[in-house]
Amino acid sequence: MEYCSFGVSGMSWLADAADRQQVLAAMPELAASYTQLYAQLWTLPQLPASSLELCRLRLAQLHNSAVEWQKSEAELAPGQRLALVDWPSSELFDSAERACLDFCEVYAMDTQAITDAQAEAVKQHHGDAGLVALVEALGLFDGMTRLSLLWQLPVLPVEGQ
Amino acid sequence: MASKPRVTAPEQKTGNVVRDSSLALVPETLDPYLAVNALIWLGGPLNAAEIEIARLRNARTVNCVFCRNVRYDIAIEAGLDESKVAMIEDGFIDSALSDREKLILEFTDQYLGNPAAIGTDLQQRLLAEFTTAELVHLSMAISHFHGFSRCAVSLGGMPDDMPRMEVSLPD
Repeated sequence: MEYCSFGVSGMSWLADAADRQQVLAAMPELAASYTQLYAQLWTLPQLPASSLELCRLRLAQLHNSAVEWQKSEAELAPGQRLALVDWPSSELFDSAERACLDFCEVYAMDTQAITDAQAEAVKQHHGDAGLVALVEALGLFDGMTRLSLLWQLPVLPVEGQ
Repeated sequence: MASKPRVTAPEQKTGNVVRDSSLALVPETLDPYLAVNALIWLGGPLNAAEIEIARLRNARTVNCVFCRNVRYDIAIEAGLDESKVAMIEDGFIDSALSDREKLILEFTDQYLGNPAAIGTDLQQRLLAEFTTAELVHLSMAISHFHGFSRCAVSLGGMPDDMPRMEVSLPD
């Protein structure tokens, strides 16, 4: 896959900042509250963090965001990251993950096109609360991906690479 | 669009429109969400009328019927009236909105349409008009409204239409 990349060094056009936290530092109180909300997602009992991470990464792929793709927020099973682009035909994803990814893809393209069957598939694995948690998380992930692109955050070198 | 709700909100009612919604099914995020929402409206350099312009532009694009038809009372108090709301449509560039308000709409559209393609011309006009804190505030407001309007649409139960309704910021 090819990703939008605005250079391996440099700053956002909007602020003297190289990453999300540095941009958000312009509004410290909001940054702290937002960070708390975002962090909460990864500890929710309603949905495994790994399923959320798969959806976050899939949104990064669909938006062609190198910055978001580069990040890692939760551990995945071996091979899943590389197989994500072909998840419908891969055997590395279980039915619960597939339900979330299927919902995520339609959410990304046209929220109004989500079908009752797609919502029901998520609920079968995670219940009503799981579906709510998923759409909340997708909103935050999609938002951060769009902002990374809009702010033209640079791709930073990854430690150890 | 699904007119039937896809989840059942908790039966216990508090009188708070957010706490009584299906978002209450995930109590872990409820207070953090409300804290972010309050800071978006009250904790930044942009006034509530400017924030409301961006919110309504998003609501129109996402076609969230509820979001489109509510008006925050603090935005009205800050000077947003229906004649101005009517200008948040296609062709706003030629409207009587101020240059600052038009820039808010251009930035919102860029976020909603193709955020990666923001050009240097728009960047420069934004930087000439807004401070960094204002642009971060606007960015976070648009992102917040976009995410939660899509949340509302995704969970179903949206009416086909509803009357205009004035609301206060939930506690």
